[in-house]
This record gives sequence, C-alpha cells and structure tokens, in this order.
Amino acid sequence: MKSKFFVFICIFVLISSGFCFANGQKETSADQVTLKYIYWGSPAEDAAVKQALSDFEAANPTIKVEPMYLPGDLDGSTYNAKMKALAVSNTLPDVGYFRPEEFGNYAENDYFLKLDDLMARDGMGESYLSQTWLKIKGNTYGAYTAAECQVMWYNKKVLEEAGIPIPPTDYKNAWTWDEFVSVLKKITVDSKGKHPGDATFNAKDIVRYGVSYDLWSAMYYPSVWSNGGDIIGADGKTVYIDKPETIEAFQNLADLMNVHHVMPRMSGGTNISPLTMLANNQLGFYVTGQWTLLDLGGMKDFDYGVAALPIMKKPAQIYVSGVNVVFKATKHPEEAWALQKWMMDPSKTLDLYTSGLWMPTKKSYYTDEKDLAKWLNNDVHPQGFKEAVVDSMAVAINEPIKIRNINQIWGDYLNAAVESIWIGEKTAQVALTEVAEKVRKSGLLQGSY
Amino acid sequence: MAHSKLGFNEKRQTFWGWILISPLCLGLTLWVAFPMGLSFFTSLTKWDMLSKAQFVGFKNYISIFTEDELFLKSIRNTLYFTFLSVPLQMITALAGALLLNSQVKGKRVFRTIFYLPSLIPLVVSSVMWLWLFNNQYGLINYFLHSFGINRIQWIDSKEMVIPSLTIMNVWNIGNVIIIFLAGLQGIPNDLMEAVDIDGGTYWHKFRYVMLPLLSPIILYNMIVNMIKCLQLFVEPYIMTNGGPVNSSLSFVLHIYNNAFKYGKMGTANAMAWVLFILTMGISLLIFKTSTLWTYYEGDK
Amino acid sequence: MMRSRKTSLTIIIYLLLSTGAISCLIPLVWLLRSSLMSTEDMFKLPLIIFPRNLRFQNYVEVFTMVPFAKFYLNTVIVVIANIVGALISNLMIAYGLTRIEFKGRKLMFSLSIGTLMLPAYVQLIPLFLEWNWFGQINTFLPLIVPAFFGNAFFIFMLCQFLRTIPRDFDEAAFMDGANYPLIIAKIIFPLAKPAMAVVAIFQFMFTWNDFMTPLLFLNDMEKYTLAIGIRTFISTYYTPWGVLMAAATLTILPLIVLFFSAQKYFISGLTLGGIKG
Repeated sequence: MKSKFFVFICIFVLISSGFCFANGQKETSADQVTLKYIYWGSPAEDAAVKQALSDFEAANPTIKVEPMYLPGDLDGSTYNAKMKALAVSNTLPDVGYFRPEEFGNYAENDYFLKLDDLMARDGMGESYLSQTWLKIKGNTYGAYTAAECQVMWYNKKVLEEAGIPIPPTDYKNAWTWDEFVSVLKKITVDSKGKHPGDATFNAKDIVRYGVSYDLWSAMYYPSVWSNGGDIIGADGKTVYIDKPETIEAFQNLADLMNVHHVMPRMSGGTNISPLTMLANNQLGFYVTGQWTLLDLGGMKDFDYGVAALPIMKKPAQIYVSGVNVVFKATKHPEEAWALQKWMMDPSKTLDLYTSGLWMPTKKSYYTDEKDLAKWLNNDVHPQGFKEAVVDSMAVAINEPIKIRNINQIWGDYLNAAVESIWIGEKTAQVALTEVAEKVRKSGLLQGSY
Repeated sequence: MAHSKLGFNEKRQTFWGWILISPLCLGLTLWVAFPMGLSFFTSLTKWDMLSKAQFVGFKNYISIFTEDELFLKSIRNTLYFTFLSVPLQMITALAGALLLNSQVKGKRVFRTIFYLPSLIPLVVSSVMWLWLFNNQYGLINYFLHSFGINRIQWIDSKEMVIPSLTIMNVWNIGNVIIIFLAGLQGIPNDLMEAVDIDGGTYWHKFRYVMLPLLSPIILYNMIVNMIKCLQLFVEPYIMTNGGPVNSSLSFVLHIYNNAFKYGKMGTANAMAWVLFILTMGISLLIFKTSTLWTYYEGDK
Repeated sequence: MMRSRKTSLTIIIYLLLSTGAISCLIPLVWLLRSSLMSTEDMFKLPLIIFPRNLRFQNYVEVFTMVPFAKFYLNTVIVVIANIVGALISNLMIAYGLTRIEFKGRKLMFSLSIGTLMLPAYVQLIPLFLEWNWFGQINTFLPLIVPAFFGNAFFIFMLCQFLRTIPRDFDEAAFMDGANYPLIIAKIIFPLAKPAMAVVAIFQFMFTWNDFMTPLLFLNDMEKYTLAIGIRTFISTYYTPWGVLMAAATLTILPLIVLFFSAQKYFISGLTLGGIKG
C-alpha cells in the first residue's frame, strides 16, 4: 500500500508541474505590446537574431518580442508543418521568417499584411534592391531576408599544385565551359598521378577531384540559365525542360561525373563531404550557395578563394533566400512593421553579413563605399568576392517560387529525372524529354501566383 | 472454461474488465478516434489547410492508384524493405538473445553493447550511417578498399539502397533482443532440466521447450517489427530523400511529402488509410496463421 | 572429452558475441571520437582514429550555444512522467484484456493494435487542434497525458507476456479472497518484472528521443527537450558536426547508465519455473 501511495504522489506532483508550465499567454501590462517573431537557422544565426531582437526591445521600451525559434529544419518541411498547425488553430506569430516555396500559397489566401502603403510612407521601396520585394498580383506581401546566390570556391593550394593560374573573378569574363573542363582535368588525379584522358587513368581510384556541384533544384538554375535554357516559364504554364539548351546544360554537368570523371558522385541528404573535401585538398573547386562562407570562414588554416562561375553561353546568377513577412492576423501591425524594418536593416544584424552567411538587401550596402566596407572587408570574404559575386547580382534572377505546384513538379517529377542523368542511367536528352511530357500531362501546370 | 474457477461471477468480471481497460477506452476516444476520424474525413476532401476544404468523395483514393506513379513505387519499395528486414531481424535477434542468455562472463557488458545502437537518436545514427556508407570516405568502403575489393555504391545506387537501409535496421535490433531476452527469462528451469534428464541436446531444448514457450513473443516481435518497417521514414528522409531516382521512396515519406511539401492533405490522408488497411491485412494474415504455431501457457 | 567440447563451444559463443559487439561499437566509437574533434578533422582521410588535438571545447559549446541544461531538465521531467503513466496504465489494460472474460474484450484488443498501424504524421495536426481546444499548447501536458491512457505497443507486448503466465496464481489468490487490483499489484507485477522493465526502458527511450511531438506542441525554447536540442545543431546551412556529436553523446549517456543498471531485471532469479516447482 505504501508504494501505491508513493506512486499517487508522484503522479500528482508531475501533473501539477505540467500545469506550472502551462503559461500559454504571458502577462502584459496595458501599454505593453508583445510580438511573436518566428525564425529558423543554425545556432549562430539564432544568437544573432536574438541579439537583434533584444536590441529592438531596448530601442522600443513598450514593445516586447517573444522569439519562436525552429531548429533543425533540413528542407523546410518542419517549418511548414508547424506553420500549418499554427494557421489552422489561429495562433500565428506576428512577424518573422517564412518559407519561400509556401509564400505564394499563403499570400493568395490572405495571410500576410499588404506592405505597399507602409513602404511608400517610410520610403522603403527605393532604398532596397528591386528583387527584394515579393509581389503577388501587384501587391507587396513580403521581403527577402537577404540576397543569397551561387558561388564557386576554390582551394588555393590544390590549384597551385596542379599548376593552374588564379581563376578569373570578373563574372562577365569568366572561363568558358570548355576552358573550365580542361582545368578540371588537370586537377583531377588518381592514386598513380594520372589525369583523365591519360591512357592508364583509373576512374575508380581518384584521390583528387576537380569540382563538386551542389545538386539540388536551386543550384541547377544558374547553369541552365547560363546556357540559355530554363525549367518552367514565369507564366507557370510553359515547360522548357526539353529545350535543347536546357538538355545541353544538364548533360554538361552530368558529363563532369560520368565522362570526364572530374566530379564525384555525392550522396543525397546532408551534404557533408564537398566542403570537407575542399578543405582536405581533395577537391579543387566547389560550386554551392554563398552562405557556405559561414562554414568556410570558420575553418582555420584553410586558404580559399572565390572564382567567377564558368559561362556556358552567358553569365547567370540566381537570387534565393528566405522571406520576411508580417502576418495579417497580427494585433499590432505598426509595431510588427517596425520590427520587420529593423530586421531588414543590415546594421542591426551585421554579424550575419560579416560572417558571410547573408548578403544585404539594402542598396547602399552595394553602392556606398563605407557601407560596402562594413560587411565585405574582412578575412572571411576572399579577394575578388565583389567582382565575382556581389556584382553578379546585377543579372540575378529570382528563384521561381511563384509558379504554382513548383514544389511538387520538382519533388515528384524533376528530381528523379535529373538523378537518373547523374547516375548515368539515362542521357539528358532521354530523361528530360520524357519528364517534360509527364509534367505537361500532370495537370500541375496551373500558372503562377 | 476457466472463469468459474476464478470465483467471480460474470457480472463482476465484466465490471472489473471494463474498469481496468478504461484508460484504453478513453485513450482510444481522445487520441485515436478523433484524429483518425478527422483524418478519414480529410481524405475525402481536397484541402491544403489554408483555403476551404473541398469535398471530393473517393476521388483521392482513385487518383492515387491511377495517376500517381510514385504511390505504387513507394509501396513496392516499402514492401521490399519489410520482407527483407523482418526475417533477417528476427533470426539475428533470436540468435543474439540465445547467445546473450548463455553462461558467458561479461553478459551484462555484452548486452549493453548490443543495445547501444537503439539508444542513439535516429537522426544522429542516420547521419552516422551516411558517413559509413559514403562512396569516397565511408568507413565500409575504406575497409573494402584496403582489402582490394571494389568500392560498393551503397546508398548511391538504385539496387543497393534498400539493402543498405536493411543493414542499418538489423544493426538496430537491440530492442528486439531485449524482448526475446525477457521472454527467455520466463522459461522454467525445470523444463530445461527435464530435457537434460531425458538425454536431449541443446537443439532439443530449443525445438521443444524454448521455441514453443517463446512463440507468443516471436509473434509479437514479428508483427511489431513488420509495422515499424512498413512505416519507414526517418532514414530515407535524412539520408537519401527518397533517391536515387525514387528507389528509396518509402510509403510514409511519400505521404509526408504530400502533406507537408505539396500541401495535399486530402491525398496524404487517403494514402495513410491505404497504408493502414495494408498493414492490417498483413497483420491479420500473420495472426491467423499464428494459431498454428503459437502456444500460450496462460490460456488454459 | 566433455571439457574440451564445452570450451570450444564457449569460444565460439565469445567469437560470435565479439563480432556482433564490434559492429555495434564501431559507430559509437566514431561518435565519441568525433565529439572531441573539430569539424575539419572529422572527415579527414586517412582516418584519424585517436585524435591528437582533443577538442573538449565541443562539450562546452553544447551548453553555450543552446540552453542544453534546460533541455536535460525538461526531458527528465517529461520522461519520468511518461514512465509512471506507462507502467500503471499498460499493465492494468493488459491484465483486463487477457485475464478477464468479458464481452467486447477481443474487439478492444484489436482496436488497440489497430492504432499501431496508422502512420503518426497524419494524426499530428488533428491532435494539435484537439490540444489547442483544451488550451494546452506550449505546455508539457500534450507530451505527458497520453502515456496514462495506454500504448498499443506495450499493451500488445504485455498481453503476450501475461499469456505465458499460468493462471494458477490468480486462482490461488482468489481462493484466498483477493480482488483484481490486489492480484495485479502483488502477484502479476512481480512476475512480469522483466516485461515491466522492458516497458520502462522503452518508454524512456521513446520519450527521450521523441522529436516531432515536442516540436509541434512547444513554442518556447526554454521548454524544448533534448531531441529538439540535438536537431538544433543540424541545419542545411551550417552544421557544427563536432558539437552535434558531443550533444549526441551527452544525450545517450543517461540511457546507457540506466540500461546497464536495469539489467538485473533480465537476469534469471525471477523465473517462474522456480516458483512453480
């Protein structure tokens, strides 16, 4: 009986401690406004965001900000799940990050605050890059958190050893594709020191590769665009996947792996290897998102450089990023907008820019010498970063998130087709022509938001 | 029958029976009936959770069979994985439990070691195995290479990806071993001694004492593991994203994509119900055939 | 003759056990070794098995980058509550389903097993809506309360287990004038100790590593559990692998200790055979 009693006490204590944690709503005084800010990111980003939020509180004593941090999100699906739960139960936050691929859907269903009037009143339209603002049917509903794009890093030591001169950093005058491939062949060696093309070259025994490309949807676009191709038109209805230029672009990339053997085949999921391979002198070049600079900058004793992306037919660049929105359901639109403006100001979260994770969206940080120096002049950003990357934003096209069902088109159709090209199962011609037909018949081409 | 022996009349038994299982009934209503009901209702609609749901009847169910190629592919992949993993797991786990039950020194240490893999959060072990299976750097290929064997493309190849996931799964059988061990503890010593007295070997002990007495536990492990295998999700989600070319797209991963990436809650729920029916079908089959080979001491 | 046969058998057993043990240990050794290295060193080839530059800093960073200690505390609270709930409710239910003859018990048993078969992910959103209706989002209640209502996984297991226990004990107790709760507490519970230990350990593990439920129901970072805490270190943009491995090691440690000490429940000494004879 004693033990039973003990058990009941335990249960009672535990349930009551459960209730103690039940503080869904925080106490606020009459004048005080509380805003909930939702965001994701690595621990470093979390620290920087929290700092910026508390600086905001300090500058605005009547406003309290509750951070809602969503960690460990590999592909946005965790965020989407949480967001759906919040939306359905009417407990949305006030302001914060939003997944770009869901933006159109939620905007159309009127979940976001229209920003145009507020922007006009505060003169925001002019001072930010034109690509920053996200419009649906002429109304602005969100702003890109940062300007992020594709870059090509290289290992200085590897290039030196292979006798390659310093790569061009002017994005308009980069290597042509053929020049690029021949450089890669010089870098790639097997364990006996042979290069691709040599008689006794053993493709199964390569110790150093020329390049690695991150292989996921956003990373394909610059190559495809550079060759004059496209995936789906901005109207959301025309399919360009089987356009000869698109096919050629994908074949070029696949040939790097299967014909020239200058690129390793990577596992899907978390891509841990390329950056480490680069730092371990096992890779010459690495084409990835510019946010990996955060990682690179942290690696001690690693001498890396940045090169302009190779040009197939013309220079191309992509603009990707998370989105910042104000939710329409907020009870304090003015304060939420003030917080949004604060977080969009690079000077408030400068750490995230100096560390290389983000590039600013505010124009002055590109045109004004002093502002430019604030985030660009440090050890993290290698020489030539401005000409190769920052300037290339002039030709950057936004990631096509406004096309309806683009997620499913990639997920159910394109990803598999493209993978079959990488593993050499099908040629780009066959794979892309097949999938283009399937996409056309799929009923998913419903235009754009 | 036994009830008269137990001394309580039928009414009292019914009363106590329901009292004892009342948490189950409440639980079923609160945590199961409502979500399942909502899930079934959702499967009859087209709903992205943002706009109003549109009632479409059984259209979702039809379209997943007729229009969605990946649906059938995901079923095939999952069934392949299940029928490969479950027998392997059962045999390995039983063998392991028998070994761990024998008179060897350091049993406790060995048992803990065998159980360790199950303690690692699935997320972390997925990442670990990603590294183990890596083509260039993986530990496994590293060893193969040093013995002069060609590197194997584990999760990068369409053929090897499911077997690779099976290997991971078999490594993770600590749970199953523990349950078998608990079952082995329940086998009375005097029965084992009886076999010795009659001049039997270990094999006789196994065949005529251990197997029958363990049979309820074997049934349990088989069914539970089969259900777990049919619901394969975390490993392909983190390691391969269903690739290469959808050869590791599991059923639940496809459901998840539909629900949270494409916003097709109606379709996702319809698929979940198909999985439910499939699982139930296979379980019923196993249960029915189990009466032929299971033996319950406490059911006299 | 007998002796050498016995020794060769023992050797074979040891060999098999060691092979299995090595394959289980290798990834764990890798985990431990990686937790003490910097990210660059972790993947270097040729493989560094014993890192020369030990980076204990990783373990410090686990606690400074995120409120890991808080996560520990939260997880312990939730886990203990879950274990208590699981032990009580599941034994009760399993006993009711197997030892008492009443109408509808077969149906309830099947219903309970049926719940195992529906993939959890589609039930998440309805569950969220339900708890929101109760007003308990961002509390620990959604994480604790369901354990008190039985879990088909354990119910099924305990049912199978109880069916291997002969009814003689129950009958004897009835003749002495006992009622059901007393029988369960005094007779069945001790006999089913191995199975109950399994329930406790498994519940501990499920709850310790459960990620999706806390993520969906908790909003404040101070309330997060270890499972989310580990995920914090993984992101597409940047993963501090060394720190992640350190966090994973810290997460596993209590589980290992618990398991090692709970083992005595599996060791013979409580076999039914002894009592029966």
